[in-house]
Amino acid sequence: MGQAAGLSKLLRKIRWEMDAFSWSQLIIVLASFTAFLIVPLGLVIVRSFYSSSGGFSLYWLQTILTDPFYFPLRLKLLNQFPFISLEGIRGSLYEVVKYQTASGEETIVLLTGWDMGVIPNSLVVATFTTLFSTVLGFTLAFIFAKYKFPGSEALRIVSLIPLLSTPFVGAIGLKKMIVADGVLNVLFYDMLHLLPFKIEITGLPAVILVQTLLFYPIVMLNSYTALISVDPTLEEQAINMGASGFRLFRTVTLPLATPGIEAGALLVFILSLEDLGTPIVFKGTTAEKVLTFQIFNRIFTPAGLISQEATTLAMILLVISGLVFVGVRRYVSLKKYAMLSKGGTWRPKRKKLSPAVTLLVYLFILGVLFFATLPHIGVTLLAFAKQWGPTLLPSSFTLDNFIAVLSDREASRCIMNSLVYSSIATLFMVVLGVSAAYLVSRKKSLPGIEALDLLVTIPIAVPGIAVATGLFLTYLGTPLSPTISGAPLLIASYTVRKIPFTVRSVFSGLEQTDKTLDEVAWTVGASKTRTFFSIVMPMILLNVLAGGMLSFIYSMSEVSTGIVVGDANHRDAPMTWKMYDMLFHGLAGGTFQPAALGFLLMTLQFIFIVGANLLLRKRATALIGV
Amino acid sequence: MVSIRTVNLTKVFGDVVAVDHVSLEIRHGEFFTLLGPSGCGKTTFLRTIAGLEMADEGRIYFDDQDITDMPAHLRGTGMVFQNYALWPHMNVFDNIAYGLKIRKVPKEEIRRRVKEVLKLVKLEGMENRTPHQLSGGQQQRVALARALVINPRVLLFDEPLSNLDAKLRIEMRAELRRLQRELGITAIYVTHDQEEAMSISDRIAVMNKGRIMQIGTPKEIYKNPRNEFVARFIGQGTFIPGEVVSSGEELEVRLESGKVVKAVPSHPDVRLEAGDKALIMIRPESFTLEPGRGYNEFEVEVYHISFLGDSQMLQASNEVENFIIEVDPDLEISVGQKLKVYAPPKHTLAIKL
Ligand SMILES: Nc1ncnc2c1ncn2[C@@H]1O[C@H](COP(=O)(O)OP(=O)(O)O)[C@@H](O)[C@H]1O
Ligand SMILES: [Mg+2]
Repeated sequence: MGQAAGLSKLLRKIRWEMDAFSWSQLIIVLASFTAFLIVPLGLVIVRSFYSSSGGFSLYWLQTILTDPFYFPLRLKLLNQFPFISLEGIRGSLYEVVKYQTASGEETIVLLTGWDMGVIPNSLVVATFTTLFSTVLGFTLAFIFAKYKFPGSEALRIVSLIPLLSTPFVGAIGLKKMIVADGVLNVLFYDMLHLLPFKIEITGLPAVILVQTLLFYPIVMLNSYTALISVDPTLEEQAINMGASGFRLFRTVTLPLATPGIEAGALLVFILSLEDLGTPIVFKGTTAEKVLTFQIFNRIFTPAGLISQEATTLAMILLVISGLVFVGVRRYVSLKKYAMLSKGGTWRPKRKKLSPAVTLLVYLFILGVLFFATLPHIGVTLLAFAKQWGPTLLPSSFTLDNFIAVLSDREASRCIMNSLVYSSIATLFMVVLGVSAAYLVSRKKSLPGIEALDLLVTIPIAVPGIAVATGLFLTYLGTPLSPTISGAPLLIASYTVRKIPFTVRSVFSGLEQTDKTLDEVAWTVGASKTRTFFSIVMPMILLNVLAGGMLSFIYSMSEVSTGIVVGDANHRDAPMTWKMYDMLFHGLAGGTFQPAALGFLLMTLQFIFIVGANLLLRKRATALIGV
Repeated sequence: MVSIRTVNLTKVFGDVVAVDHVSLEIRHGEFFTLLGPSGCGKTTFLRTIAGLEMADEGRIYFDDQDITDMPAHLRGTGMVFQNYALWPHMNVFDNIAYGLKIRKVPKEEIRRRVKEVLKLVKLEGMENRTPHQLSGGQQQRVALARALVINPRVLLFDEPLSNLDAKLRIEMRAELRRLQRELGITAIYVTHDQEEAMSISDRIAVMNKGRIMQIGTPKEIYKNPRNEFVARFIGQGTFIPGEVVSSGEELEVRLESGKVVKAVPSHPDVRLEAGDKALIMIRPESFTLEPGRGYNEFEVEVYHISFLGDSQMLQASNEVENFIIEVDPDLEISVGQKLKVYAPPKHTLAIKL
């Protein structure tokens, strides 16, 4: 009886909250996400447990986990101390190569890293990237949050620069810096003689380096927000009770800031795990031996079918990031909180530093910034280079790369494709994102509405390559097949993958407009639908615009689906695929033309991200948090 | 203009019963006030009437029409929110005209009616201001105009004056009452300020923890509180606990000090029998300084005097009990002085505990 009454009350509540318009909002969001995220990812999981005859089977999982290529690590029992050993690790951290030149013998230390097999490699790369990004990001955040020195605000903003490009573009730029006759060796070995030998960073270490330099700002932003949100009186109290220095830091400051640091770190872990762009740039080295690249490399069988091996790998990637996401959920709530409490942060007391320490701090920050801006400087120089041998700067500059790219029929078609797909996807994202954000913000009392919130936030933690695999599994051979046209799946993929930016921006706008503004419109006779369009929308327009801009630009720079779809259908490929294509199948021009494309993308990204943040000004903090 | 009736109206938020089986009836054109401490459920009640919250139990009727499940925008209520809730992206004219545009009123008529209502609330010529260019009082008037212009069936006010300064508050009170009376619209007014409630209302419902404690005219509520909560919440008084020793038209109540006083039940509905616990309440102005009857007399020592201009409030005690006594402003009196005061039995109220 009680249950029946509860149910009828629930139904009444639903009828009360949901009018036809809200239903249509809910349905389009659910339908789109079901069709282009849930079903595809479900298929990735289901298909990896298919046998060739169609029934349930662990064949592929078993094959992969026993294949030394993917998982070579074995524990072996020994009969003497330490009785157990880990086998299967190949290669060494570095190799020393000596060769003769005209000026005598030269030594190169090749930093290649161990190869532990595809699955462990992915985890090791993600772990190190997370570790380095966290140490670097937190240290910077701590310095900026706690100390006062001239130019600190400007330096803080400059250190966010890496957020302005994707790893794919950054990797192209950085590669030129870290190879044997790259800029760093020219600078530190040839010119400054600071190094006793040349160093070439390649393979997995190169991936870790690129990712660290591009992802540390995520930890930095999260930690910074957390640190300046720490109530200064808590620290003062601790000081009054006798805590000081490192003890104060360890017992008070760090624990209070930990949720923020953790949130950033977990996000970095997932972004590293799902990054396909960097391994692609370092194709031909051990960098290939990570999950994303292997999925990408194998997704198509020569027969034009989706490889089960790739599907199973995608499933493994999905499961790993799914597990991490359980932790990242904290990130989401934290972010919401941060958006809500705009301007509610404390005016932190910043300590002044002695001149000597200030000097050290400057050295550290400038050192970090030197490396952090290398990828961007690299891309820029490459884009304008005519010739660039083993010298610090290109020997001559030119605009030819841009002219070549823009006049190349295929390249300009790819640029057009990207613009069109991203624009259409942005339209969808705005419609779906505004709908979802509105429902989540305004119908909090409806049971289950948090699930909707989760659904539109979760794409942050879903590896793009897994989405791509799922989309292929679902739609190959249907009218939406990428072999017929690349557009539908790319637009769909951009929409589900990049919608969190719109949702978050709109949601923060809605949370900042009092619900009574909606309600008063109802009382004077406006239906909820009418209120939505004439009252709510005008008030959150800026947030919609800013969110749309971010979603647009992150669609433009999307790599995973873009490259996979592009490979299946060159005619409909996006810009990121063209960069990949030029890097490895291009004729003349080498990296100059892809760098020119990368530079264009980076510039657009810069304009859009800065634009979106200017639009919102103080209305939302840390919108570029990803 | 409608009458409003609620039957067992209930609204629950999680564990909190914000409105608890409220049944009451508000008459045509009445100015009805819900009065109670903060958090007692006044806003929730009002929002349920407006259709902004779903009633969990009970029914709401406008005249004979059951509107319990009717969406807010069809109810024809004009609501003035505590924070005014003016739309920041519209100027004064558009804020007020919005409800008329929804109703597809012709442009000319909209202009005329907005002008009229602006005159009514004394904001002529302010059409083009944006909300943030207005003072709190002006914003309040715009919110009122926006609610009035649609000729609502009922006006709902949620502490509309609480954000204004004291002087303006008193002016606006009279103003609101004048408008409501002129327009003849049924109004429900919510406040936690008992003085405001007393001065503005036809009838008051005193609310506590989601329940109605008493409904009555300001005078009734003041003179005949039904229970201790109402007695203590409204006005001031001297409170002395005791036990009924004899019942009837006039009660006899033995105070804790052993003294027996003559009293009457605080409210016609209150029944007290010998042996019941009771609380004696005497309003400050009920005391006189003319003893000599031999009963209901208290000997007290004054320990604080507040001079209020038209009267003086004395705080006094007799070691066991505390007294608040109003005396003539011309009376010469000083702290430490002993007084003998008398409380007539008909003003000595016995409240059932
Ligand atoms: N939307 C809500 N969700 C949960 N609790 C609420 C909500 N609105 C009101 N309450 C609770 O209901 C009770 C009554 O609140 P309210 O009607 O605002 O009181 P009042 O207006 O008399 O101050 C309070 O305990 C309040 O915390
Ligand atoms: Mg209230």
